Amino acid sequence: MSGRSEAPAAVSAVRRLGRNVLATPGRLWASFSRAGRPATDRSRSKFVFGNVFLHLHPARVHRWSLRWTTTWGLGIAALSAFLITLITGVLLMFYYKPYPSAAYNTIKDIHFVVPTGRFIRNIHRWAANVMVVTVLLHMARTFFTAAYRKPREFNWVVGMGLLALTLGLSFTGYLLPWDQLAYWAITIGANIAQSPRELTDALGITAYFDPGGFQKLILLGSTDVGEEALIRFYLFHVMLLPLGLVALLAVHFWRIRKDGGLVRPAGADERLGSVDPETYPVFTEAPDKTYHLAAVVKGRTPWVGRGPENTLPAMPHLFYAELAVLMLVVFLCVGLALLVDAPLKELANPDLPENPAKAPWYFLGLQELVSHSAFMGGIGIPAVVLVGLGLIPYLDRETHGTGEWFGGPGGLRLVALSAAVGLGSVLGIEAFAIRFGWLRTWWPDIPQLVITFVNPGTFLTVVYGVFSVWAVRRYDSTRAGALALFTCFLCGFIVLTIIGAHFRGPNWEFYWSPSHWPGH
Amino acid sequence: MKANKYLLLWSSAATLVVLALAAFDENVTQEWRVLQREYRSRLEPPAAGEFAMQLRQVVVPSLGVVDRCPSCHVGMAPGEKGLPGDPVFSAHPDVGHDPANMGCVACHSGQGRATEKADAHGDVAFWPEPMIEPAYAYAGCGTCHTHLGVPNLEAFRRGIERLERYDCLACHRVDGRGGTLRPGAQGGFEGPDLSHVGVTGFRTDWYDTHLEQCGKVAEPAWCTAFGPIPEPDRAAIEAYLASCVGAPGLIEAKALFHSSGCRGCHAIDGVGGDDGPDLTRFGQKDPALLDFSGVPGEHTLPNWISAHFENPQRVVPGSQMPALGLSASDVERLTYYLMSLRGAGVPGRFWPQDRVRAEWLGEREFATDGATLYEAFCSACHGPGGEGMRYPGMAAFPAIGNPDFLAVASDRFIRVTIEKGRPGRRMPAWGELSGGLRPEEIDAVLAHLRKLGGVEGPSDHGPRRWVAGSAARGRRLYERYCAGCHGREGEGKEGPALANPRFQASATDTYLVETVQRGRRGTSMEGFAQASPVRPALDEADIESIITFVRTLESR
Repeated sequence: MSGRSEAPAAVSAVRRLGRNVLATPGRLWASFSRAGRPATDRSRSKFVFGNVFLHLHPARVHRWSLRWTTTWGLGIAALSAFLITLITGVLLMFYYKPYPSAAYNTIKDIHFVVPTGRFIRNIHRWAANVMVVTVLLHMARTFFTAAYRKPREFNWVVGMGLLALTLGLSFTGYLLPWDQLAYWAITIGANIAQSPRELTDALGITAYFDPGGFQKLILLGSTDVGEEALIRFYLFHVMLLPLGLVALLAVHFWRIRKDGGLVRPAGADERLGSVDPETYPVFTEAPDKTYHLAAVVKGRTPWVGRGPENTLPAMPHLFYAELAVLMLVVFLCVGLALLVDAPLKELANPDLPENPAKAPWYFLGLQELVSHSAFMGGIGIPAVVLVGLGLIPYLDRETHGTGEWFGGPGGLRLVALSAAVGLGSVLGIEAFAIRFGWLRTWWPDIPQLVITFVNPGTFLTVVYGVFSVWAVRRYDSTRAGALALFTCFLCGFIVLTIIGAHFRGPNWEFYWSPSHWPGH
Repeated sequence: MKANKYLLLWSSAATLVVLALAAFDENVTQEWRVLQREYRSRLEPPAAGEFAMQLRQVVVPSLGVVDRCPSCHVGMAPGEKGLPGDPVFSAHPDVGHDPANMGCVACHSGQGRATEKADAHGDVAFWPEPMIEPAYAYAGCGTCHTHLGVPNLEAFRRGIERLERYDCLACHRVDGRGGTLRPGAQGGFEGPDLSHVGVTGFRTDWYDTHLEQCGKVAEPAWCTAFGPIPEPDRAAIEAYLASCVGAPGLIEAKALFHSSGCRGCHAIDGVGGDDGPDLTRFGQKDPALLDFSGVPGEHTLPNWISAHFENPQRVVPGSQMPALGLSASDVERLTYYLMSLRGAGVPGRFWPQDRVRAEWLGEREFATDGATLYEAFCSACHGPGGEGMRYPGMAAFPAIGNPDFLAVASDRFIRVTIEKGRPGRRMPAWGELSGGLRPEEIDAVLAHLRKLGGVEGPSDHGPRRWVAGSAARGRRLYERYCAGCHGREGEGKEGPALANPRFQASATDTYLVETVQRGRRGTSMEGFAQASPVRPALDEADIESIITFVRTLESR
């Protein structure tokens, strides 16, 4: 009864409901952005500022950062490769079964019958390699433009963590196909982890103190590569390492913003010239704002009366650049995936060692050093390099050349000289060791401890160190020493990797080409 | 910004092109799609309409089989009739096993999961088990039928010969031969196909029922083709028929293997000598792991095996295997048998009866008469007739069928020699070896040896050691007349090793003295009781002195 008396009001509510229903799509779309449709430079900036994903970007970006030569897009390329592996990796997880009896067959099924499975696995594999390469290049770019300097020191350290996670992801993924390539590469990798034993064995303390064996045990969950290792690597590969990488990536990007964007040289504004007249003068449109956060901003005061004229709205300028790099990487990965299949050898056979068994390519430099001395190649030299890299921003407190390619005392000339010294000495010492052998060849009874400390790897490290000290004194600059050392180690890494990949055959003997290997 | 925009445009466009190519590749150009389109186009209208373009596979979880071969060989998919006579699309011939229950790879090898020809046939790198070539098709049986029963080769061949001589093939078919006697072109007389009769079994009273039929039936074929068969020939025919399991060529190859003495050095499934490599899974060797530098022709396992038979040292430098001087057809047969040594880890409930009987009940798969055992285990070294063998680069193997030897060697001496062997020489201890011979088998071999020489052994009574000559004199004589072949310390060179402790233990002085006196006709061992152009005859005292010295070699 009462319902009937209230009928007119009910009708109006229903009508309102109807109108609301009709208006919902438009409102949903409008509510998507906190600042309305991103139609103008101002609203676009607000759009970027108010979006949880996009606000990792600055609302405006300096024109210097958009120059191709500033970064060559390497960081974004590495991120793009990571996103590709993430998506393709999740797709592969639908079919992959991480158990020794099933793993290989699931890869075969992915290859042969899963729709687009082969293509997706190829993309995954190529993107992973592109990621390793771009991360290394990105690091080299950061170093050579002296971008690690204050206030970006810590982001350099975060970047090293990202490098380690990238290699870890790639390495853990290597085992999953459970073929001969995977099995023996991981066996080699695990033996590299076990390399401190060379030292503890030489000292005769392995029975009491065995960090090498412990590292291998942690890595494999057993003494050999088996089902424990597989499930462990799988867990690391699909969960722990990606989560860690995403977390560190967030820190990495956030620090870029907080540390003042990408590095640029002191005279960047002058060198860029005048601003495009169409650029929107953001700071003069509504000069009625106060800056409450001024108290926590670094620097004495916000610049008043001087807008960031040399900046452009991140949307669309920066976005186009980023998307261009993303699509370039996508093209590279799908193109390679179409042309070259990801490798898959015979089913893993613990009774039939591959000869030569080679680690993944980015560890072949280490494997070459390990062939001279397990401890030095596996732990000693990598530790020296990692600590040295981490210390660079804290030792180099200079400002000359920040943001310039090969900036700093010595510059490109010093880098070229260092490359010559770096290449010359690594080629020389390797050629000598390959041609004439080393201490064990001449004195078979020599104590292993001597070889641990005097081998081609340590010899090379010392040569590089001495040369770097010379550069420090010659240019009276820490940066010069860093330039020399980094360039030398980069050359050493490249040459040793190529030797390990191409010139080493069965029993790690030297061959000019794999076609000369015996038995083929 | 413009440059970035164009970069984005072009990289996106290029990506789209690549994706389109990938989609085309995935959905149009795949080999099995092309083949299935062709198959469909050759079907008659109603069948063509019902034919679905899809991957086809045989899945047998208990065997771990996932075989996608019917994706291309559509005629072999369950429910498909196939195109008769077509090399790709025909239905599978009737072989007693339905591919729908067994899959394909169990018999044919190759890569069942693959969907492209090269991968599926195993003609790619990193696939260790390529398909078995058609010439060796029945070698695939060896995957499960590891212990196919096999008669003596001679009996087998006699069986075939009798089968043909008594015109059984007039009415019966065996392995595709025979059964052609048909008055008129069609619907003629035809007896049952006997190709699988070894598996299905046959009536033991077949001969009587045939005779009975022959009397009753007016059919002229009965009268012309069938007649009385004497008992020994019936037995030969029955022995042959019992080996008919539908794998033509394989049984003969296996019989040849067991008449060539191969098990003397090689063990298969735990039976045989250990001087050479175990051959149990030889047919599954990965060709990619073999050295083909001494092998002419393609890099296939059969080629490797054939080349190895012809010249072992050229294929495997330093091989201890003698070049057996086999005929080309025998090389081919032995290669066939080796290809069938696959012995995959098939679950026990898939084992055929003969394998169960062999592995669980310890039955032999080969005939266990003395002749077969001798041929299977001894003949490669001691010769098919016990005449001893000489292979280039190896010491001569003793002629144990030699009447001179059998006349002086007691049964006990021979039995102990077979049981304990000659440590340090190539003669294994057949009674002690894990894959060796059983006591009753050694007895059978011994009996066969006696038959070969036609000589009974001497009684083994009397003192085992009685010579009492002068060792110093014996030494001089030994060095002059014996050391050339037996070695200065009796270590054995061309002739047997006299210092061998097992030899010393089992040989009596009588045996030694008589051997020196009589020698071995037909071998390098002369009889020293007679003079020869280059030396005088030795008298009994000389020979006893020599034996006295030979006995001193034992302790060295």
